Amino acid sequence: MTDLLSHLPLLLAQAGEHAAHAPAAAGDAAHAALGAPRGVLPAWAGSLPLFPLLACVLCTLCAIFRVKTKLPAAITVALLALSFVVAFLNYQNTMAHPGAQAAVVPLFDWINFDWALAHNQTTPAHVLVANFSFYIDPLTCLWMLFVTGLATLIALYASEYMSHDVGAGYCRFFMAFNLFVFSMACLVMGDNLLLLFLGWEGVGLCSYLLIGYFYQRPSAVAAGKKAFIMNRIGDLGLSMGIMLTYVQFGTLEYDKLFPQVAGYWHLAVEHRLAEVPFLIQLIPVLFTVGAFGKSAQFPLYVWLPDAMEGPTPVSALIHAATMVTAGVYLVARFFPLYLCSAWALDIVAWGGAITALLAATIGMAQFDIKRIMAYSTVSQLGYMFCGLGVYGATGGVGHVFTHAFFKALLFLACGAVMHGFAGQLDLRKLSGLGKMPGWKIVSWTMLVGCLNLAGFPIITSGFFSKDSIVGGAFANAHTQAIGWILLITAGLTAYYTFRVYFRVFVGPKHYEPGDELHASHDDHAHGHGDHAPETAADHGHDAHDFHPHAPGWAINLVLSVLAIGTFLAIWTVYQLPKDGWVAHMVNTSTAGAATPEVEEAHFLGMDPHHGALIASIVMAIGGIVAAWWLHLAGRTTAATSRADGLIPALGPIPNLAQHKWYVDEIYDFLIVKPLWFLSHILYFADKLLVDGLVNAFGFMPRAAGGMVRRQQTGVLHDYAVSMAAGITLVVLVVVIISSGGHF
Amino acid sequence: MGMLHDIIYSLPLGIVLPLFFALLICGCRPGQGKLIRALALAGTLIPCVWYLFIAGTFTWDHGDADYLKLTYHWFPAAGISLSFGADTISMLLVGLTVLLGPICVLASYTAITERLRTYYAWLLILQGAMTGVFLARDLILFYTFFEFTLVPLYILINLYGSTNRRAAATKFFLYTFTGSLITLAGLVYVAVKHHAGHHAWTFDFHALEATARSMTLREQTWVFWALLAGFAIKVPLFPVHTWLPLAHTEAPTAGSVILAGVLLKLGTYGIFRFALGFVPAACIHFAPTLAVLSIIGIIYAGLICWVQTDVKKLVAYSSVSHLGFCVLGLFALNSVGLSGSVLYMINHGLSTGALFLLIGMIYERYHTRSLKEMGGLARAMPIWASFMVFFTMASVGLPGLNGFVSEFMCMFGAFQSDSHRWAAAQAGHTGLLSGATPGELGPWFALAAGTGVIVTAMYLLYMLGKIVWGPLHEPGGSHGHGHDDGHARGVLPKDLGAREIGILLPLAALCLALGLYPTPILRALEPSTSAVARVIQHSRENPPPSGVPAESVASIAPADHPASDIAHPTSEGGSR
Repeated sequence: MTDLLSHLPLLLAQAGEHAAHAPAAAGDAAHAALGAPRGVLPAWAGSLPLFPLLACVLCTLCAIFRVKTKLPAAITVALLALSFVVAFLNYQNTMAHPGAQAAVVPLFDWINFDWALAHNQTTPAHVLVANFSFYIDPLTCLWMLFVTGLATLIALYASEYMSHDVGAGYCRFFMAFNLFVFSMACLVMGDNLLLLFLGWEGVGLCSYLLIGYFYQRPSAVAAGKKAFIMNRIGDLGLSMGIMLTYVQFGTLEYDKLFPQVAGYWHLAVEHRLAEVPFLIQLIPVLFTVGAFGKSAQFPLYVWLPDAMEGPTPVSALIHAATMVTAGVYLVARFFPLYLCSAWALDIVAWGGAITALLAATIGMAQFDIKRIMAYSTVSQLGYMFCGLGVYGATGGVGHVFTHAFFKALLFLACGAVMHGFAGQLDLRKLSGLGKMPGWKIVSWTMLVGCLNLAGFPIITSGFFSKDSIVGGAFANAHTQAIGWILLITAGLTAYYTFRVYFRVFVGPKHYEPGDELHASHDDHAHGHGDHAPETAADHGHDAHDFHPHAPGWAINLVLSVLAIGTFLAIWTVYQLPKDGWVAHMVNTSTAGAATPEVEEAHFLGMDPHHGALIASIVMAIGGIVAAWWLHLAGRTTAATSRADGLIPALGPIPNLAQHKWYVDEIYDFLIVKPLWFLSHILYFADKLLVDGLVNAFGFMPRAAGGMVRRQQTGVLHDYAVSMAAGITLVVLVVVIISSGGHF
Repeated sequence: MGMLHDIIYSLPLGIVLPLFFALLICGCRPGQGKLIRALALAGTLIPCVWYLFIAGTFTWDHGDADYLKLTYHWFPAAGISLSFGADTISMLLVGLTVLLGPICVLASYTAITERLRTYYAWLLILQGAMTGVFLARDLILFYTFFEFTLVPLYILINLYGSTNRRAAATKFFLYTFTGSLITLAGLVYVAVKHHAGHHAWTFDFHALEATARSMTLREQTWVFWALLAGFAIKVPLFPVHTWLPLAHTEAPTAGSVILAGVLLKLGTYGIFRFALGFVPAACIHFAPTLAVLSIIGIIYAGLICWVQTDVKKLVAYSSVSHLGFCVLGLFALNSVGLSGSVLYMINHGLSTGALFLLIGMIYERYHTRSLKEMGGLARAMPIWASFMVFFTMASVGLPGLNGFVSEFMCMFGAFQSDSHRWAAAQAGHTGLLSGATPGELGPWFALAAGTGVIVTAMYLLYMLGKIVWGPLHEPGGSHGHGHDDGHARGVLPKDLGAREIGILLPLAALCLALGLYPTPILRALEPSTSAVARVIQHSRENPPPSGVPAESVASIAPADHPASDIAHPTSEGGSR
């Protein structure tokens, strides 16, 4: 508190300075004009991240005391539910003061010091402040609502899903799960870029730990490592961006940063981008590198599909609904800064478009349903970036919001299948699940999820948010190509989504258990020892007397809630891009910065948004029908369908797509292998050359010392004498030389 | 009471205490193992208590320049004195030294079973000497302690190391000793120069500082490289690092902990205190060179780590890589870089020290350091694995843990350190450029060092992936501790015991505390580091004569600083 007081004069001085050339704060100029009072929130508003942190500590204690019950799950669900309540109250309090600036809720000083270059200057010249303080505006509220809400639901789901690990990895799982929610809260709520970075790398750590949850599996370990290192590449860009931000603006705190950004943003709105300094235009480009790493965009996307090695609740929460949207959050939060750059938003849009199409083509050719969902996540994240890149922040954020629901739903439904069929995920080995007893809820909710992902018109939230992005792309004459890419991708998406549904959930009844049934039970980190013996009733499909394990109440409840959630979400997005709840939240935050006027465009002679609407409907229905004809109509077995006959006609393309266009192999060949080779050469050179040179030097005195070797009485004694002699000699030489006066 | 107070609150006590207990240990009989260990523990714990007293009265808010300064005239005729003092940097490094003391003693309880007296006595002597280096305020005293640290470590490696210990000890001794002889030459030159100007001998830091700063650029250059010869080897900086992997690999666990934790910091401390403090003009001139060497070291050593199969060698090379960040921060020559660098010295000591402890614990159980012979130990030793992951993440520089703050600040200092941009900002040409500082590096240096952060993640996660994760693979096909020599059988539990957890917990707590609340230390460091940054800026604005013929000196020196003034410095130069 005293620190704050001592800095007050400085802050006031800075504020005055900004007022001179920054007529409006960033954000919707109408709402957040400078002079609007800063939002005030009660002191407990900042307690949101403390609940998951407390849950993490308690789960750690459970691990230390070797708790062998479901206590960690109970703690987690209860405390995360509390954090959701706080998030909701924060939302209400924030909305109660329309027009106010974001509220800053301080917790404690993390990095906070100042220094002065000139000795006699009384006011500090530089201040580096990055505190544990939270910046709460509608964008923060939006993100925290779905993060904490989904985390609570998925924790409930995981309490059942992870039940075979009770007493083994159960505590560890929930520990990392809670740490993730804490880190995510820091990322989204942090009031400065360094706290965002803390959350950014923190979620990366939790992702690493949870991908590698089944740590005895080498593939899981490798996937975790890959995720962490790919993210680090992105993080380097982000950290350079953070440093450049400080060098340019002298602060990392949002409430001091955005008023300064607004000065440049006005230039951008007036089409005077050339006047914005080059380095300021560079900052968002560097941020984009970080965003593309965290949100798995081309060329840094390859870690996300591999991340499916983790338990399914983790895939649902971290690798689909929340963590991977952090990059979108970063772009949305710094939207005014992105507008100041001539290239940043183009990079965002084109990166997103390429990724959307590339991932969709790979997704079409995969057989592992969880991997298909993973590629669809990569692809949908591409849509979100496109949304932001074509000046449609509301559409981009809206798609984050709806996607969080339906993609979590899809993953959790896949997880239920995986859980019930001993790890089976191959769509050629499962069929007609909807007709099996106990799988009704899973099938129906899966259908809801698929309809959303495919963008089925009118009755799904995914349709409205996706359409807003496509329409936004067509509305701008410069980004029509992106619109076409997105439109084609929409058709592909509908196809591969319903390929999964028509293969697995409808059609003739058939199943084969996955390899976890055969896995040895001594591997208790991943065994199904608890319920393997309950294979009493025999359906005769498998030689091993396998009986599917239908989901229990927790899984069914969570799936149902999420399915209802996707319908309720329609209300938040159906008026996009201009109106509706999400648009309101975005427009009253920093992401709502007005965009420059763009050249009006038409789509096939129609208003772009109406045209895109019709085209999207056609593509979605077309994709679904194609999937129906190729994968359901006339199918009698699980393993084959009409689509198999089509493959030879397409030449090498299906094979290339199935092998993910060999991108992993190309990276390995171009980067990893040469680096590995270089490292070996360096190690060899280090031993031979660098050290060899030293040894050569060392040999000379040893050769000279050979004559006096007889006098050695002990090694240490020898060194002590030579030490004294050497010191004396050096002192003498220096004194003699120096007293000569000249060098 | 007053006298007791004076004794407790005196800096030499921290040096004398371990030495006193070393003497007591020498008085024991060889068979009294328990007594020897107890004495060694007391001899390291009591300095911790002493340190708490001192630290309790130290002004952490804004640091003290020469706290508890104490001077005995030792050889007044030669100007040599027993002079001690502490500023924030000394306080922090002494704190690290006294903290690692009891940890090293406890870590050796089961590892060292023979010649206990020699071992613990030299361990205590080493601690006394290291404390002395950081507290000395007289050059001769500093150098005495500095050189004397070599002897105990030489003995520890030579007598208690693993198979190739003799070669490692010899190389360590000769390499570092040769370098520090040249350092001594540089220091003595400054003293002689002072004598020439003042006709009196002194080795007091502050007195010599003033003399050294007023030397010509040419003299400063010579002194700079002479100082660097010893300090760079100690750090160790690429390309004079090759003694380190060998010494680390062969040293006993406690030796590695002290080596990584404290001894390497003698090099960076020396650069901070003497290179930056004495010859700022040369530092300015050679900052890019040193920064490039640091960055090469970061990436080069990092890549070498990536292909190691000996886990101890991997961590040893990682020290070379990590200390590169530390030196980069120093040569950013601004407050952020310097503070980050000092913080890095502490953080590296904590996290890498802990990694060496953890590897030592594995070595005691399995008698191998090879990643090919063991793996997936999380299954067998979950507690050990948890600590391993924690300290690896501290080492990776994960925000929230200690490594991040210092690593970020070192890179950030280099990023900011850009005189052109700073000058442009001062002239108001480019609008708001409030974050740049004068300096010789710039964003490209930070970016190059930043790639090292990726390499760090590569090799440390490679290490984790091999030794912690994956299918369980224990050497010799035996479960549990499959060693044959009898002494440790039954002494060591399969997973970590209470003693082992007890020595790791304080380190873990500090890693977390320094990661989440570094602000007090940053504020305490700021006066010291800013003072150095100001000296350097002063030197930048008033460059010393180059040391070449007089007419060119006149043209280089600014108008208000006639060359004659600088040639005979009395109150000029570093009077601050």
